[in-house]
Amino acid sequence: MADRPRERLAVPRRDFVARIARAAAVAPAVVGLIEGSVEALPKGQDTDLAVLFAAIALEHQAIAVYDQGLKRDLFPPGLKGYATEFRGDHLGHRDTQVAIAEERGGRPPAPLGRYEMGALRTADELIRHALLIEVAAERAYQAVVSQIRTKDYLLSAAFILVDEVRHMTVWRRVLGLKIY
Amino acid sequence: MTRPLNRRTVLRKLVAAPCVPLALATHVGATDYASAAEVFAAVDRLEAEVALRLRALAEATPGAKAFATSVLADHERQGRARERLRRRLGLAFSETARVEAGDLTSLEALRSAQEALVHAHAEGLPALGAAFAVDVMAGHLVELSRHLAVVDLWLEAEADRG
Repeated sequence: MADRPRERLAVPRRDFVARIARAAAVAPAVVGLIEGSVEALPKGQDTDLAVLFAAIALEHQAIAVYDQGLKRDLFPPGLKGYATEFRGDHLGHRDTQVAIAEERGGRPPAPLGRYEMGALRTADELIRHALLIEVAAERAYQAVVSQIRTKDYLLSAAFILVDEVRHMTVWRRVLGLKIY
Repeated sequence: MTRPLNRRTVLRKLVAAPCVPLALATHVGATDYASAAEVFAAVDRLEAEVALRLRALAEATPGAKAFATSVLADHERQGRARERLRRRLGLAFSETARVEAGDLTSLEALRSAQEALVHAHAEGLPALGAAFAVDVMAGHLVELSRHLAVVDLWLEAEADRG
């Protein structure tokens, strides 16, 4: 494995995270917050919903990656358990946030018909892609968490963040990247 | 690979269950902190317990030294950041947290303490009352969650070794 891609994976830049967010159809205002071109979003229900919708869009994308890997049997036997667990986590995150959005009268985004994942021919490629999505999700949640106004959603987002970091750490370990 | 059904897992399952009202579910088993001062006090105490356990484990398990050193350096930095937050929020400075803990070289006990520290950060965010404080403490939450994941991997490796 070449050093440069490994280094890029180790320290993903904000524009990379923003690119993933855009590919998942995250609203431009939230992408601005993620890439640092927007300091803060205006307070209010619209912002809460924009953050929720962005998070749901990223969860749809993560589920699609794990679905693809599991369906095509690309995860090695020793890692299938992690993939299944992480897919389950993302389903839970999606459902939780869809419920919060609907409780507030919002209409959460549906998954896209297709996600750009590249060829994904090997377990290594798949795990690298899964890691990129997890890193993007973790960075996105971290970027938007202080914009959340309500206690219930802030608490949910905090626990979701804990899961994203676990996923990321496991895949980094599998790929032989630094974890501490 | 399977992990014990902990408070986080229970919380997550409840939150994900469609039949449980959301507002109720998100608070099941969670500590409801009343103020930023309360959050910081809990974090100081739990961080001190994790540090005590890590030092003991690193003494007993030479292979754990690098991890312990890295985590303790993170604690130092996070402690300084909390002091700055206290100052900005007009809160009293912290006193050195006193910890009494048994079974210091137990990896399971380290995991429980680490998980409690992670939960204190997550459950404390709504009580901080200022976006800049949420930003800083969410950053610490990410680092501490990573430590927890490493401890989980360590436990799994120990289990695989039998």
